[in-house]
Amino acid sequence: MDANKGVLVCGEIAEGKLATITIELLGIGRKLADEVGEELSILLLGSVSANLGKDAIAYGADKVYVSDDSLFDKYNSDAYTQAAANICRKIMPSVMLLGHTDIGMDLAPRLNGRLGGGLAMDCLSLSIDPATKFLVTTRPVYGGNAHATGISKTARPQMATIRPKTVPGAERNDSRQGQVIVIEDKVDPTTLKIKIVERIKEQVEGVKLEDAEVVVSGGRGIGSKQNFEMIKELALALGGAVGATRPVCDEGWTPSSLQIGQSGKVVSPKLYIAVAISGAMAHITGCLGSKYIVAINKDKDANIFNVARYGIVGDYKEILPALTAKIKELKKA
Amino acid sequence: MNTIVCVKQVLDPEIPPAKFKIDPETKKVIPPTGVPPVISVFDERAVEAACRLKDKNKGKITVISMGTAKAADVVRHAISMGADDGFVLEDPAFENLDSFGTAYVLAKAIQKIGAYDLVLCGRQAADWGAGQVGSILAEILGIPVVTFACSIEAADRTLKIKRLVKDGFEVVEAPMPSVVTVSSEIGLPRLPGGMGLMMARRKVIPIWKAADIGAEAAKLDKANTHSEITGLSIPVRKSECEIIAGATPAEAAGNLAAKIIGLA
Amino acid sequence: MLPTSAAYFGVSGYIIFWVLFVVAFGLFAQRTYFLFRLMRLGKPENRFDRVRQRFQNMFREVVTQRCSLKSVTRKDLAGIGHAMLFWGFSFFLLSYIIFIGLAGGFGLASVLTGNTFERVFSSILDFAGLFVIIAIIWAAIRRYIVRPARLEMSMEAGIIMIMVFAMMVLHFGVDGFGLAASGVTTYWPPIGGAIARYLISTNISTNTLTAIYRSLWWLHYALILGFMVYIPRSKHMHILASIFNTMFIPFGQKVVLEPIPVEQQDNFGISKIQDFTWKDMLDLYSCAVCGRCNANCPAQLTGKKLAPREVIHNLKEHLLEAGPALLTIKAETAKDGLAKEIIGGVVTEEEIWACTTCGACQEVCPVNIEHVRKLIGFRRNLVMSQSKMPESAQLMLRNMQSRGNPWAGVTSMRLRGDWANEAGVKVPAEGENSDTIFWAGCTGALVDRNVKATLAMAKVFKTAGVDFAVLGGAETCCGDPARRAGYEFQFQIMAEQNIEVFKSHNVKQIITSCPHCFNTLKNEYPQFGGDFKVVHYTQLVADLIKQGKLKLTTELNSKITYHDPCYLGRYNNVYEEPRRILQSISKTKLKEMERSHSSSFCCGGGGGLMWIEEQPGTTKINQMRLDDALKTGADTVVTSCPYCLQMFEESIDHQGLKDKVRAVDLIELVEGAMK
Repeated sequence: MDANKGVLVCGEIAEGKLATITIELLGIGRKLADEVGEELSILLLGSVSANLGKDAIAYGADKVYVSDDSLFDKYNSDAYTQAAANICRKIMPSVMLLGHTDIGMDLAPRLNGRLGGGLAMDCLSLSIDPATKFLVTTRPVYGGNAHATGISKTARPQMATIRPKTVPGAERNDSRQGQVIVIEDKVDPTTLKIKIVERIKEQVEGVKLEDAEVVVSGGRGIGSKQNFEMIKELALALGGAVGATRPVCDEGWTPSSLQIGQSGKVVSPKLYIAVAISGAMAHITGCLGSKYIVAINKDKDANIFNVARYGIVGDYKEILPALTAKIKELKKA
Repeated sequence: MNTIVCVKQVLDPEIPPAKFKIDPETKKVIPPTGVPPVISVFDERAVEAACRLKDKNKGKITVISMGTAKAADVVRHAISMGADDGFVLEDPAFENLDSFGTAYVLAKAIQKIGAYDLVLCGRQAADWGAGQVGSILAEILGIPVVTFACSIEAADRTLKIKRLVKDGFEVVEAPMPSVVTVSSEIGLPRLPGGMGLMMARRKVIPIWKAADIGAEAAKLDKANTHSEITGLSIPVRKSECEIIAGATPAEAAGNLAAKIIGLA
Repeated sequence: MLPTSAAYFGVSGYIIFWVLFVVAFGLFAQRTYFLFRLMRLGKPENRFDRVRQRFQNMFREVVTQRCSLKSVTRKDLAGIGHAMLFWGFSFFLLSYIIFIGLAGGFGLASVLTGNTFERVFSSILDFAGLFVIIAIIWAAIRRYIVRPARLEMSMEAGIIMIMVFAMMVLHFGVDGFGLAASGVTTYWPPIGGAIARYLISTNISTNTLTAIYRSLWWLHYALILGFMVYIPRSKHMHILASIFNTMFIPFGQKVVLEPIPVEQQDNFGISKIQDFTWKDMLDLYSCAVCGRCNANCPAQLTGKKLAPREVIHNLKEHLLEAGPALLTIKAETAKDGLAKEIIGGVVTEEEIWACTTCGACQEVCPVNIEHVRKLIGFRRNLVMSQSKMPESAQLMLRNMQSRGNPWAGVTSMRLRGDWANEAGVKVPAEGENSDTIFWAGCTGALVDRNVKATLAMAKVFKTAGVDFAVLGGAETCCGDPARRAGYEFQFQIMAEQNIEVFKSHNVKQIITSCPHCFNTLKNEYPQFGGDFKVVHYTQLVADLIKQGKLKLTTELNSKITYHDPCYLGRYNNVYEEPRRILQSISKTKLKEMERSHSSSFCCGGGGGLMWIEEQPGTTKINQMRLDDALKTGADTVVTSCPYCLQMFEESIDHQGLKDKVRAVDLIELVEGAMK
């Protein structure tokens, strides 16, 4: 029998409220907890954490563990790892869920290393095996070319991270009952080895990538930083956001926050226009959720055409200006 | 300043998706013939980060790679970029290890190498992409870890690291020694110069077995593995792409505009 | 009686003669020796083999003036003018030695003058003088009125024309006044004699005539000496240098690239003037600034900054400027030198990366300057020592290094060995012997459009009964793009690996589809111990047709034109075989482009530029070449190089001309014509 029981969600707080990803994690967490017939708990760290207990319970948590130490207000890798590890050792969850966000991607592996569990990151889906009751994770590998399913037979906790917008958010039910438990242990600041010196917000012009309904993305074939202006113009004309592939960000033609792909952002807009992108899997996995993919590439055999709905084979330098102009014209009408 | 970089040799990520084949029985990828494996994308960036530090701070870079004997190629590649020494960790006991097993083997090798100020890894491997080895390695070695670095500087006994966060960057300071995982935002790795290429050719790269690094059999026992793969599949992607044409590129663009204006 | 035998203000003419001569010759020798010492700053290079053939080359190029006449086209007849000038002036040189030097200086006038020998010589000389005058006037009209694009206005050109013209005029004057002063009326020499007869008829006193004669004679002599002093101090040093340059033409290869010794740690390629070899420096002296290289350079003609003449000229100026300082330092320290960095200062990176290595500059250069290897030398320094190169170049070189071919990640949707599966050809197992290997090349194996040609080739060979195998997935790049881009060590590594593979299969003969592979395997692999018989497929197919092993129908009814690939034509002199093949399959006669054979215009794909982004200019190189093809009225452009095919197709696509013209590889037409 498994000594570990229950599902624990590591929640994130954004602007004084539960982050959307947290609500999504509670949703999937509840589902998994119900399937194994165990409790769903959530860990919230930060000054406002105590106030959010009610919300967390309404979204499905049975127990809410809070620590209102202001040390946790801004993500601190050492502090969060310590606090989460401590809580885990106390309540010994069977499953732990985190968001595949910049916080989760840093915290989950550290936590896993400290606790000796089994972790699968960037999961596309989670389920419980009806026979063994193990958590079954499905995640993309080889840049998205394949999917791998995995389990942890003995290592506990079974950990998984999941990207925002992968699973639906939990339904809010204010009549739900639950417990808010304050964590007494404090993190000793002298044990924190990493010192945060400053945070730099990157100014991104225009529409934010994650929320955009239209994304215009450029690849290596764009050729230069100047040429990337054409992508921006088309995005502007369509009221959309600008995206880029990893090589483009490597070259410094765009800020890295615009990177779409396996190691960047995953977006699912209504319309995704891939310009001069060959369609390597590592990029495509970042946009496959889009409703319509349009490809513009001068190589008719480029892989991008295998996933696109519409395409033009040609030199983007000749197509984009005309496209932008026509879009502007049609929008005026 | 002594830096150790962990690199992995992976299947070339740039093979055409249509050529990507797996064996669902063994849950392994079938490497296509005639395509040489390459250094994992982020690991190459880690080597680049190490070289940039060496440019400024002098010191030594040692590269280790756990894999087949052929992994010597990626170690050599790192040496051609500017690393000084390299070792391959090859042993039947090292096959099919999960992230914990891998981190353990690397940790034993690092302990054998001796004194170090910094351990660099790529943020995730370009093949399995688990993204955990760096952090677990830090736990085993008992040193701090900073992830997703896009620039690293060193002064006295402190590392100044710029790392990626959701909407920008964070600058942190970490003590030496620490583990730092490197992301591609660090920029393009250098093309090996003439001297590097020739040095790498001449270099002898020793192979270390489990016994050489003192790896305990219990820790490498597959029965104790933390996670295992139960299935590998290629998702079926079907798409009918309608190619929009025109007498001139401009006309085709116009036709496309008409099609997509309603989609947004 | 020559003026030297007279006395002037009590000083013997002989003394004046010799003093002037010694001073002038001293100045000439000093300057020439200085230039020679500068040349010696360069690295050694062995161009001293096959001495007899070298002298033959010199004779053929210089004495028969092939150097000038080879560049004569309907539009540019200047080479004829130069030949006239050269031959004419050579005669004069001879006459100076005989009639001024020996007769005047050595006092042998009585033996050499006043006889039939002199009469005949002078008469011939008159015609020579006329030739020279006509040539000078023609040159002046061209230079100052017609003003062809390739000529640069320069003071030196004007000065030399005036000097030579004056020497001719003075010659006639000296002749005329001399004859008149001696009271000789004659019809031979014709012009000199006519002047003399006229002067005699004017009844000017003999004393006056003699005085004028002597003045003109000394003026003439002084001008000749001045000319001698001026030559090594102006661009006309080319007169001295180019004679020697023709003796040091490389045999066989057009562009001689030396491997870098593996022990070398740094200072790769060319960064300072002393990094050049003495032959490179002799090249700089040999330049007559004629501008033919510019007029044929695809980069220059499409508006890029690169102008081969300017590169050579700027390097020469730099050598002359930096040289003196270098000469004063001891030999050892001169290696590091004070000379400023060439790249950036004398030649810019923009110019260095615009070169397609097509070799047109070298082909038309009358004095056989080797432009291309200097630019590749700069690239070696940029890539191997400084790690500086255009982004697109870096990407290609990284692919070469980690994947063994330049196409990965850009267009490659295929794997190396894929095409072999489709063609059903034999792939030798490890250690298995294979006499003949068909080398598909990177483009031919990986890029869809070109794989079609490779498959056609395999089919044709099989039908003709050629016994061959292919390396399939074991084939890696021949290394050409790396070498042309300056990544020499990477090239050497690949060459050595490939040679090892060939040797492991005991390969004797290699058939290539790509002229770049052809050139590299044939001309450059021997540098690394790879000695195989290498043929381009056009040579093999032409031979198979001749032997009757390939039966073809003559049904092709398209309007065809043929584009000579640079690396097949200029680099390896294979012009006729492709044409013979076309003749045997085409109903219609091939219509040549204006620039064909050795004057073929590059497609823009060589020198690594297939991958390096083309610099902005007035037009694209491939567009300019496609225009050449379209001018012939052809609907089918035939070529025998995968890069050229790609370039033509790209331009056809770009200009929306798919309905009007198509580009094909010659082998595709052969396959289509097989019975």
